[in-house]
Amino acid sequence: MNLVRGFATTFKHILEGPVTVQYPEQERPLRERFKGKHALKRYDNGLEKCIGCSLCAAACPADAIWVEAAENTDEERYSPGERYAKTYEINMLRCIFCGYCEDACPTEAIVLEHEFRLSFNDRRDAIYTKDKLIDPLPAGVEGTPRQTEPGVYTRSIPDMKNPD
Amino acid sequence: MAHILLRDLDVPDIWQFDTYVANGGYAALRKSVKELSPDEVTKIVIDANLRGRGGAGFPTGRKWSFIPKTAQVKYVTVNADESEPGTFKDRQLLEGNPHQLIEGAMIAAYAIQATAVYIYCRGEFWDLAHALEDRIEEARKANLVGENVLGSGWSCDMFVHLGAGAYICGEESALLNSLQGLLGQPRVRPPFPAQMGGGLYYWPTVVNNVETLANVPWIIDHGAEAYKAIGTPESPGPKIFCLSGHVAKPGNYELPLGKTFRELIYDYAGGIPNGKKLKAILPSGASGPVLPATDEVLNAPMTYESVAALGSTLGSASFILMDEDTDMVWAAAKMIHFFKHESCGKCTPCREGTYWLDQIYHRLLRGQGTARDLEQLERVPKQMVGVTLCALGDFAANPVLSTVHHFRHEYERYIKQPALEKAGAVAEPV
Amino acid sequence: MAETVTISIDGQSYQVPKGANLVDAAKLHGTDIPVFCYHPKMKPVGMCRMCLVELGSVTVNRESGKPDLDEHGQPVIRWQPKLQTACTQTVSEGMAIRTSTAKVVEARDDILEFILTSHPLDCPICDKGGECPLQNLTMAYGPGESQFLYDDKQHLAKHVPLGELIYLDRERCIQCARCTRFCDEVVGDDVLAFHERGRKLQIVTVSDPPFDTKFSGNTTDICPVGALTTADFRFGARPWELSEVPSICPHCPVGCNISASTRLDRDSGGKKVIKRIMPRQNEQVNEIWICDKGRFGHHHSLSSNRLQTPMLKKDGAWVEIDWKTAYQEVTSRLQKYGEKVGFLAGPSLSNEDLWEMRKLARRTCRDCQIGLWPATMTGLEAVTQAGVGVGTHLAALGPESAILVIASDFEEEAPIWWLQVKQAADRGAKVMVANARPTKLDQYAKCVVRYEYGEAVEVLNHIAVFARRHDKLNQTLVEGRVDGFAELEADLKGKRVPKQHSEAAELLLDTENLVIFAGNEGLTLAQQAELMQAAANLLILTGHVARPNNGLVAVWPGANMQGALDLGFSAEATVSLLDNPPSMWVIGDADPVAEDARAAAVLDQAEFVVVSTQFMTPTAEQADLVLPVLSFAEREGTFTNAMRRVQRFYMAQTPLEGALSAWKVFAQIGSALPGGDKPRISAALVMRDIAQHVVRYAGMNYTDLAHVETQFPDVGGHDLYYGGNAYANHGGLGIQWATNAEKENYRLTVRPVSAEAPKYEDLTLIPIRLLYNRDVLFEPSTVMHARIPAPYADFNAKDAAQLGIIDGDQVVISAGDLQINVSARVNGQAPTGFVLLPIRLSQLPVPAAPAMCSVQKVEE
Repeated sequence: MNLVRGFATTFKHILEGPVTVQYPEQERPLRERFKGKHALKRYDNGLEKCIGCSLCAAACPADAIWVEAAENTDEERYSPGERYAKTYEINMLRCIFCGYCEDACPTEAIVLEHEFRLSFNDRRDAIYTKDKLIDPLPAGVEGTPRQTEPGVYTRSIPDMKNPD
Repeated sequence: MAHILLRDLDVPDIWQFDTYVANGGYAALRKSVKELSPDEVTKIVIDANLRGRGGAGFPTGRKWSFIPKTAQVKYVTVNADESEPGTFKDRQLLEGNPHQLIEGAMIAAYAIQATAVYIYCRGEFWDLAHALEDRIEEARKANLVGENVLGSGWSCDMFVHLGAGAYICGEESALLNSLQGLLGQPRVRPPFPAQMGGGLYYWPTVVNNVETLANVPWIIDHGAEAYKAIGTPESPGPKIFCLSGHVAKPGNYELPLGKTFRELIYDYAGGIPNGKKLKAILPSGASGPVLPATDEVLNAPMTYESVAALGSTLGSASFILMDEDTDMVWAAAKMIHFFKHESCGKCTPCREGTYWLDQIYHRLLRGQGTARDLEQLERVPKQMVGVTLCALGDFAANPVLSTVHHFRHEYERYIKQPALEKAGAVAEPV
Repeated sequence: MAETVTISIDGQSYQVPKGANLVDAAKLHGTDIPVFCYHPKMKPVGMCRMCLVELGSVTVNRESGKPDLDEHGQPVIRWQPKLQTACTQTVSEGMAIRTSTAKVVEARDDILEFILTSHPLDCPICDKGGECPLQNLTMAYGPGESQFLYDDKQHLAKHVPLGELIYLDRERCIQCARCTRFCDEVVGDDVLAFHERGRKLQIVTVSDPPFDTKFSGNTTDICPVGALTTADFRFGARPWELSEVPSICPHCPVGCNISASTRLDRDSGGKKVIKRIMPRQNEQVNEIWICDKGRFGHHHSLSSNRLQTPMLKKDGAWVEIDWKTAYQEVTSRLQKYGEKVGFLAGPSLSNEDLWEMRKLARRTCRDCQIGLWPATMTGLEAVTQAGVGVGTHLAALGPESAILVIASDFEEEAPIWWLQVKQAADRGAKVMVANARPTKLDQYAKCVVRYEYGEAVEVLNHIAVFARRHDKLNQTLVEGRVDGFAELEADLKGKRVPKQHSEAAELLLDTENLVIFAGNEGLTLAQQAELMQAAANLLILTGHVARPNNGLVAVWPGANMQGALDLGFSAEATVSLLDNPPSMWVIGDADPVAEDARAAAVLDQAEFVVVSTQFMTPTAEQADLVLPVLSFAEREGTFTNAMRRVQRFYMAQTPLEGALSAWKVFAQIGSALPGGDKPRISAALVMRDIAQHVVRYAGMNYTDLAHVETQFPDVGGHDLYYGGNAYANHGGLGIQWATNAEKENYRLTVRPVSAEAPKYEDLTLIPIRLLYNRDVLFEPSTVMHARIPAPYADFNAKDAAQLGIIDGDQVVISAGDLQINVSARVNGQAPTGFVLLPIRLSQLPVPAAPAMCSVQKVEE
């Protein structure tokens, strides 16, 4: 009896088609929470979300992230508040795509997205700098750095919710 | 009975030097300086069991006796920074009977052999302060103040200093800081003002309330026994009660300690206007717990001990009366806003606690209060009590805790019926 | 050990020093009482209420005088009903506290909740985040969550400049008053104050220029939150990314222990660079403070103007050469000129550099002069005999001590000592200031002696005369170990002592301890030598030697002048070099051309000048060969501070490519000379050579110099809340070499000193030293430029009236061949007949010693 049941399973699978897909001609949909290449996000008004706090670098188990911060001014503003990331680099050879940086980020600036096709010809190219990571500007807004009204963007975390 | 303190009610022109002297004024100072030793003066005041009228009720004579005799410089500081809401007794004394204060202060100065007397008036008393300076000048001309007082070889001058309108400067160590030109914030005690390093310019200092010192000449004149015959044994002497709020005849009433609330409110002050019922009493301005106007309260004698037994304090005896139509939440909100405004900011619980409470009341009165806010109103004041540097933190907790305790249903009304918004009740929070 | 009392902490009995603060006492035994406002270096104020504890005392039976005992035989403790602040309590016998009961835990929880109601949640961008007492204590004692509604938080200004060095974030301030109290109590510059009251209470600066104190940076260390941050560091790095390297400040003779916080830096090409300088605790040197010059004056090390290759001047143009060629050039020249070579060392060479330079000099020829620059101070002999005792602790001086500061503008020349002497005065020490003009220390002095410039020596002589007349001499010491007393006595005999001096003498000699700080303001080199000897005479005769907290300290004009003197360099040699100029000069890190016109002229005449330097200084410009060397931050070495403490500094920064340590350069040159040996491979080995050959440094080595002990108060551990962010000392406390007086078998020599003063009749120029100047090591710190005054000279009002100049006028001062263009100040500083001219406010030379001058107003 068991034998029959076993063969039944085998035959059932024989009849199914192959699971292999012909990548790259054919692509599988990715799961919503797939962790691929990082993106540095922007607010809708085009300002960068990243405030250069280095918490992602502190959380990174592979020591793949390098951040250097500098001070915003109203004449040259990158992000809301006083601080922005002057240098932001991720070494993609080191990165293990664990997503801790995403968890550590207080402004939800760094997000692991769905891009997984990373290739380089040189180890040095594996260091993704800020301009490679940052999201493109939303349509119709001015880029960073830009001049802003004094007294508007005084806080780094504009809409922080009650942290409870 | 003739008034002992508010003598301007009996003798209209007693503020004038000649009238005051004609009515037996400055006899006590003369007697003290000429006939009594400083220790004897202190002893009489101790025997009379005169208790400080500023609010704490500390025995005055004992305070004087703490001053180290060896100190080269000693001061008497008169606390005329009368800023407790609902208190206006010192004002009447300064206005109507200033020489009695000057005499009392000089007797105190003699008792501790002080080198100078400073009268710290609240900033709003600027006109009184200028008048007081003239009165002091009259006394100085009569050799009652200044160099070689009454030929005794003891010199002591008197100065008037104006504050700048801070409630906290009524607290004695903040008052001393303010007098010294520092920020009006309380000091760490010990050392207490009477000790070396704790007083004015760090010299031993006696700080007494205006009303306390106004009692002193009568005590010296008539003796300790006569004084003790007035009032109760624990709280002897006359006391000025300031009545305000919903009362037919607001004003100052000088009565012996020990009369009941009912006597004062209904017999002397004419009861509550428009035939309304009394709902609550604030027995010591904004700083003491609110008492509901129950029979138990109304029939209690007004002494330091019995009011304490009721769960409040007699303090400066400034009664704010509230009739049945009063919204207690609104009243408490007013008081908290006052304390938030007046907190000096030196220590954390008071600075942050009053700010927090003010925010909650603001929300309540806007009709946005929640049950959670009521919980906080019970919790936050308890976090402030007993851990602050001076008593202001405790004071600020009193109106909240007592109103929530006695009038909880009124708070619940605000939470259940958010439409009860009371426009403009509290200024916008800062 | 001092007197102790027994107190009980959480049921355990401990012996603690009598009179100690309860928080400190508990700390000594490892019990943490968290605080925000209390600081072990300042008086308690009880503001933050974080240190609440249950306080009780043993009840004592009135009749027997013994403690009451309960049924278990334990003393009965009466607990106070309310919690008390531990910081406002002084320990007393029988005191008991409980620090971890439910009541205390709840109270701390409540206080933290209160503090956090107004504190923003911007830790991610806060410079203090990661080393923040509020963060740490919240994690340790705080409530898990707050009941306060986030939307109710208040918003205040986040970027308020308090002066150009410090920024204030009003939201973050928790009103602990540490900064205002630091300015008032520790520094005495009440430039910060509280404004408003209640929740609006805020810090404001009340001085003009704002935050006008030389110690402003320290407020950022003791701020328990990120309310105060320095403009220099702002967002430079997160604290956990920094690695700490112990170092020594290269700017003044105090030798403050500093910690260089370093990090890799993209802009500097991935090099490890200094992000900030922090104080490092050394109670006997700088406690936990440093001045703003030390804190912000490190930028020279990263300057883009640093020299990176050796350069040879060929036909008036610089040609880059390699090191090998450079060595050959120098070696061949040294052999060629032989006896006609002069050596000159600057004030910030390390002991190792100096030693190798000296070795090179000796190898060149036996009698080569090794001079010291600036050549304004001397007196090694006096210091060797009567220098301050080993273990001197300025921060502990009190009413039993007297301190004399003579011929020095102390705050400008040695800021941290100024701070310590000022605080000693507050504690009751008798401070006396003797100078020809008012200085800032005068206001803390019990006694101020004014003399005319040139008469400084006379003051000390008079005090010695007074001591002799009033039996203040230490007869045992004088009879047993002192030579030359008879001659000195004969010289002192019969001198008339002016009343002002005898009053001062009475004050100074009536105390157990006496420290003399001697400077050189208004003195020629010869007079300065006499001043040092006069001070030594006085100290030896009165027995104020060979003990801690007694003796002489010279306020040298550089970080390692003491080391240079110890290793045989001298100002006298410099004078002799200038008088008989050699044909070739080897100059190490000195800049005589910028400072002295005469030296410039002499160097111009020389045939070959080699300069080792970090920058193209005026001296380097005039040289024939420049050798690039490393800064203090890029290498190892030792400095000897003016209290003779030899202290190590470590390599903090990636060394500049192309430059070498100065000692290595000199050693390489020397190795090619006949009889030369192989250069040492490390600074530690050079120190071993020094220890073998120099008696004063006998037995010293890098291991011992790195030795540390626990200090009190214990600052810099993980308990940042207690002492602030100054770092614990892991780099070594240093070793003081002992004076002759401290060595039993040495005899001491006194001799009469000449108090002959030149009578200055015409207008005389007095060079004075300012802390903030355009010194080559300080100039690159652009953040400090606003504090460096434009070149000026102080005139007396009388002289100014005569010359027809008023405050603010442009004048030309002519002294000898020099024409100095400055603006005039008339503010009561200068005595009549004298013009005070700060040195190094520009790159143009001014006279190094008092000089006759004439003044011309520049008409606009």
